[in-house]
Amino acid sequence: MNSATKAMLETAEACAMCRCGCCKDQCPMYSEIIEESISPKGRNLLIRAVCSGVVEPDERAVRIAYSCLLCRRDEYDCTARLKNAEAAESFREYLVDKGVPTLKEHEALLKSLENYGNPWQESRAARKRWAREIKGRKAAPGRMRVLFYVGCTFALDRSLQETPKALAHLMELAHEDYGLLLEDEACCGSTAKRIGQRQIFERIRKENEAKIRNLGVKSVVTACAGCFKTLKQDYPGLTEDVEILHSTEYLSRLVQSGNLRFKDSKSIVTYHDPCHLGRYAEVYDAPRKILKAVPGLKLIEMRNSREKARCCGGGAGVKTAYPEISGKAALRRLMEAERTGAETIVTTCPFCVQTLRAAAEANSSKMRVVELSVFLAELAIPTPTGAAR
Amino acid sequence: MNESVRAELRKELVDLLGESKVLWSKSDLLPYTKDTYRIRFEDDHRYFPDFAVLPETTQEVQGIVRIASRRKTPLIPKGGGSNRTGMLVPIYGGILVDTIKMKRVLEVNKPDLNVTVQPGITLKELDDHLKDYGLWLTQEQGSLKIATVGGAISTSGFSRLHQKYGAIANRVMSLEVVLADGSILRTGPKVLYTSTGYRLHQLFIAAEGTLGIITEATLRVEPLPETSDVVMAFYDDFWKANEAAQRLMASGVVFSGAEAYEGHGLDRLGAPEGKTSLIYVLLHGIRGEVEAEALFVKKLVEETGGFLARHDVAMTFLDVYTEQWCGARALTGFEDVITTYVPMERMREFYDKLWNVIAPKYGIEPLPGEKYSLDVGRYRMAGGRYKLPKGERAWERYQEAVREIAVLATSFGGSIQSCHGVGIQHRENIALEYSDVALDTMRNIKRLFDPDNIMNPGKKLPMKK
Repeated sequence: MNSATKAMLETAEACAMCRCGCCKDQCPMYSEIIEESISPKGRNLLIRAVCSGVVEPDERAVRIAYSCLLCRRDEYDCTARLKNAEAAESFREYLVDKGVPTLKEHEALLKSLENYGNPWQESRAARKRWAREIKGRKAAPGRMRVLFYVGCTFALDRSLQETPKALAHLMELAHEDYGLLLEDEACCGSTAKRIGQRQIFERIRKENEAKIRNLGVKSVVTACAGCFKTLKQDYPGLTEDVEILHSTEYLSRLVQSGNLRFKDSKSIVTYHDPCHLGRYAEVYDAPRKILKAVPGLKLIEMRNSREKARCCGGGAGVKTAYPEISGKAALRRLMEAERTGAETIVTTCPFCVQTLRAAAEANSSKMRVVELSVFLAELAIPTPTGAAR
Repeated sequence: MNESVRAELRKELVDLLGESKVLWSKSDLLPYTKDTYRIRFEDDHRYFPDFAVLPETTQEVQGIVRIASRRKTPLIPKGGGSNRTGMLVPIYGGILVDTIKMKRVLEVNKPDLNVTVQPGITLKELDDHLKDYGLWLTQEQGSLKIATVGGAISTSGFSRLHQKYGAIANRVMSLEVVLADGSILRTGPKVLYTSTGYRLHQLFIAAEGTLGIITEATLRVEPLPETSDVVMAFYDDFWKANEAAQRLMASGVVFSGAEAYEGHGLDRLGAPEGKTSLIYVLLHGIRGEVEAEALFVKKLVEETGGFLARHDVAMTFLDVYTEQWCGARALTGFEDVITTYVPMERMREFYDKLWNVIAPKYGIEPLPGEKYSLDVGRYRMAGGRYKLPKGERAWERYQEAVREIAVLATSFGGSIQSCHGVGIQHRENIALEYSDVALDTMRNIKRLFDPDNIMNPGKKLPMKK
């Protein structure tokens, strides 16, 4: 039994000991489906029963295993702080390792990962399309300190390509030296890892790690919360000598050093914490510091923010497998944002932008959903070269 | 249940409710095999219900009951599922009626301060809803996030604000209940104060689903208080804190609720060395009232040798409690909890016998910081938590200990359970608390409501000898 399986069983046993069900209160999947089995508690009981042979890992068991956003919201409500999301992810690995057929809905993602190095069935060459209009150059060994790792979703979803363009623009305004992998960039493996495909993830990780190491960069900056979580927490070998930064951390430093400034804005915004950036990496302050650096901007927090933020419904393969539930979770979050009276939701994850924007469009909401770099690029003003260095 | 009967029943239920509201796969039924009651470890996966159903309306509940009544199939009504005495364990299989999808707020009557809801709404969800009207239910129990209105009524749930606002039992004005024959009972008008018919709604408080399935509840609510405060103080030992608790009760000051307990790691809360126990007193109301009460309680603390805690630390007992409590049973291992009612003048004797005589005899041990705990006020609870015995005959010794604790509480004129009900755990023990005539009256009531014994059979009442 590997250490992940052991930890998974310990979590499941501890949960079965308690069975309080507090995890259900804010679980985005339970909130929409309202069935005991679709909750961290229900899943822990299933893990225990499947692993002890009481229940067969049949189609329904697999559905339950994959009905978790891995958002970790429940851990705030669990006094014992059980790592339910970690157990849920390990359970998927366990099922895959046992050869249990998993969800058909995920097959296309995996095939695309294998063939194109991204889960979205786009060619490798498509990855550099977004960069046509920017000055950024291709990373080469020993040539730059910072690698801007764009990520599949920002690079390939046309409606989101404004983010890498905006971040590149901000880096250029701040006179930062950075490089891009363009068509050589490959998926970080987050999708594979979250849906339990450990072997596929390990292959991707090794290839990416070698590629990044070869460049000799000091830092990797990414705007994608999923890539950030994966590179920082699931690439243990890489983080020993390369600093992994989310764009919010990186931009926050530029703001602090005076290399990034903004013009006045009368915007009233609320900030949505992506799970991978917030609860997984505890990056709560950096995006807020940046927003507060915009003169005149008013930031209003949602009732559930920071570690209590509700998930947008976009994570861990749920959007692909359960699009309707994902949409309902996004709508619930959107409504929470609307109650603040803000006109804009700013967030920092491609999936959060996708789901919240789709919810806003489907429900004729007047709220604008915008990625932080895009929002900032509209307000950033040039600074003299090296002025604040 | 044999397979052909099961298939027929499944078809009937699916015809009534649709596929999505009828669960039959083992993966879906796992959460219904038991509640948080400690059954024998090897029995953990023993009691699967045949089906779990998820009705959304009274008519759907009525349809389910009619099917079960015709077939004499057991029905187990369920709320949040956090019960500790086994009242949700499907010991005879049957249909588990999970009310968690019945979450609608049907009416908020602000002028008359009441709300009518379906039973599956949680206490927290209801308070979230009422907040927009400037109202609240006032019911703060540890399981606030998961306990449903129907479940709280069916177990006569506790509220730590009982001194000022009462418990759920005091808030029920009227109920709609589907009876075992499928008829729909409205217990009476939606009023709190009436001297007309029999108070039928009271029969369903703490009935544990043995008399019918609650499908609607009208509850008294209160205006949100203008302000709230907490006064907290540390004491040398529990008995000093208990003395302050007694003074508090005798003083006539209107506190919402208070708890005195021997704590673990109180230094983290700023307790000076040597202070092992604390009391916290919750106050709610209009500003001037709460300020005056806080001053009064602080003076009382001084007079009883208490060390006043920092206000910001004390205030965590207001918010963090309701946000984060869940009992942490996942961390404690096999444990159980005592929630007895013991008359004040026998309190010390009760605890002395509990920990010095019963505990060593059966090998139960108090959990650190959970040896003494007293909910102060009219609905006081003498509590404690203990680790279950280990080794040979562990489960039997645990049952014997539970029995002897019940004997102890009732011998002092108290009650075995303040708020966790009877379920399976105390089914035989309640004979300690009620006369034969009282038990026969209860059995007659049960027979009248449920002649075929399909409503949560095997719970609440002792088997007839």
